[in-house]
Amino acid sequence: MYQYTDFDRRFVHARAAQYRDQLERHLAGTLGTDEFRALRLQNGWYIQRHAPMLRVAVPYGELSTRQLRQLARIAREYDVVQDGPFKGQGGYGHFTTRQNLQYNWIPLDKSAEVMELLAEVDMHGIQTSGNCIRNITSDALVGIAPDEIVDARPYCEILRQWSTLHPEFAHLPRKFKIAVSGAAEDRAAIGWHDIGLQLKKDAAGEVGFQVFVGGGMGRTPIPGVEINAFVPWQQILVYIEAIVRCYNLAGRRDNLYKARIKILVKAEGQKFFDAVNEEYRRILADDNGGHEHIIPKAELDRVAACFVDPAGVAPVAEPVLDSSDPAFARWLQRNVDGHRVAGYRAVTLSLKRVGIAPGDTSADVMDTAAALADQFSHGELRVSHRQNLVLPWVKASDLPELFQAARAAGFATPNARLLTDQIACPGGDFCALANARSLPLAAEIAERYQDQDELEDLGDIDLHISGCINSCGHHHSGHIGILGVDKDGAEWYQLTLGGSDGTVLSGKTVAGKVIGPSFAADEIADAIDAVIETFKRERQAGERFVDAVRRLGLDPFKTAANAVRVSTAKAQA
Amino acid sequence: MKFINANTCPWKHAVGEDGPKPDPDPAPYRLLSLEQWHAVKDHWPAGIQVAIEFPNDADIQELAPDLHRIAMVVLDFPKWTDGRAYSQAHILRSRLKFKGAIRARGDVLVDMMQLLARTGFDEVVMRGDQSQAFAQKALDLFAPVGFYQGDVGETRPWFQRSAA
Repeated sequence: MYQYTDFDRRFVHARAAQYRDQLERHLAGTLGTDEFRALRLQNGWYIQRHAPMLRVAVPYGELSTRQLRQLARIAREYDVVQDGPFKGQGGYGHFTTRQNLQYNWIPLDKSAEVMELLAEVDMHGIQTSGNCIRNITSDALVGIAPDEIVDARPYCEILRQWSTLHPEFAHLPRKFKIAVSGAAEDRAAIGWHDIGLQLKKDAAGEVGFQVFVGGGMGRTPIPGVEINAFVPWQQILVYIEAIVRCYNLAGRRDNLYKARIKILVKAEGQKFFDAVNEEYRRILADDNGGHEHIIPKAELDRVAACFVDPAGVAPVAEPVLDSSDPAFARWLQRNVDGHRVAGYRAVTLSLKRVGIAPGDTSADVMDTAAALADQFSHGELRVSHRQNLVLPWVKASDLPELFQAARAAGFATPNARLLTDQIACPGGDFCALANARSLPLAAEIAERYQDQDELEDLGDIDLHISGCINSCGHHHSGHIGILGVDKDGAEWYQLTLGGSDGTVLSGKTVAGKVIGPSFAADEIADAIDAVIETFKRERQAGERFVDAVRRLGLDPFKTAANAVRVSTAKAQA
Repeated sequence: MKFINANTCPWKHAVGEDGPKPDPDPAPYRLLSLEQWHAVKDHWPAGIQVAIEFPNDADIQELAPDLHRIAMVVLDFPKWTDGRAYSQAHILRSRLKFKGAIRARGDVLVDMMQLLARTGFDEVVMRGDQSQAFAQKALDLFAPVGFYQGDVGETRPWFQRSAA
């Protein structure tokens, strides 16, 4: 993992002190509510439906057990409702699709204290919200995947540092998200980001980035497009500076819904690419200090030295595991991934359980996960895009013991990539933006589909649920996507099929297509059932859901889903 | 950072009885809009420096040929969260090597000080309700630590400074 230097540490403490000063001015009445809003957002503090929400960054998903225990402590001691209608609520965090952790119940007057506790373990909420460059995300298997071309972590860290409190890019037209993949398979959904970076090696073995720009979900889902096939790694900060400067100057600011870079890229196309490439050329040719952000080999080496394999990890012979226990065999197949190092595995600790919202993790569960990571994974965990935790350094010979421990702790649901490994935002239960609740629906689906044989038979299905068009639950990229919409104050759900996050299985990054008018809250789970039943009926041998949707088109699914509509919806259909 | 009181500042708009003069006569300490500058720049005497108020939605590089005649560029923050002028200031300093003053006006708040200073602003007219003492405190907050990336004043990022 990246080791904070003295500079990094003083920096996050300075940021915490700056935030404390702003909070105190706000509480004293000298910093107005609107102005404090933009400042607290850039430290991860939202005001939500019932209480403030804090979003903590887990940069590129890497988490130490020391950090996770501190997150548990914050959940236990600060994320607690002392009185009022929600008394007793809290005590947990919610892992998001962008490798952040959100708390829902910390009182604002404790916020500065919490920032200082985070700083103690080299964490922060810097730029986890607001119209700035957000937390840099990556593949949960970064640095350990067998299909890795280049380890993305040192580049992610260099990008994190460069983007942190960048003075020119603190007030962009809209939020700006960067994701990096260094593997053959994109597991970081880079096509859905404002900038998606794919590490490559050219014919000479030199490392560079294929750069995509203009991806994004929201009201107008648009996959990113390639702006440059190969930017040498040394120049990547300069290239991103060029993109973000062009966007800062030319992005729309008259309409919130048209302010993302995707709209600019779509409107201007090649003209925007030309402007970026000219800006890049001029930074290097004309600007004072234009060469200073070319990354020297020494700096890459310094950062990369933090990401060496943990002491004691070395290739070992593959053990022969006794998989006669079907539950163990299924878990091996579902929740255990291959590893770059022979004799090692990456193990998914599933956070998708009946009765618990996807990604939600109580303080005790965090401590249990930390104990497992200490025992089996050299004190390191990963936060995945799918809202699970991953143990990255598990010896294959330890898998039977880990399975028993994970099962006892409730982490061993063998559902990775299956229907119940659903992605969901916190939705209308917590989020002030949401039109509809996502969690009751997620719970209903988790309850309906508990038969592991049935789930396994259905195979890989990405089910993504967003409570509103902000798309935090990535409904556009779900094979089945569900979007909460508000009609006359009631909750409705729009169903989309065939979306992709860009993985090999899901295919090219594409938004799902809507099948007909929205479903009422009491219809949507039946509509999903109908879609699944249609798949079971129409599929060819071995065919996966998303492939069947592409082969068959929407009509058979639409017909089946329409058939379950009850009175009101039928009238509108 | 210089904190400017707009009322006592020597730079004055060229205003007639019916509003801004379309074609102001040359005089020292003229603070001209970009439109006024367009109208007069071809016959403006070489010896009289001007200050120009530049809107945040035009290309700042258009000033490049005239910068030797310009003592100050005033950049605009119509809302404090509209960050275009930071890029304009950066380009003025880093690319166009502008040595005159860059002033921020509009919705200019205490908590912008650091961003302004680092992108090349050296003067501010703050919004009326803002406190100069708080602004100075905001400027000093990171001074003992510094920042990761380079800026207009210290062009080297931390990784270059620490390696030096």
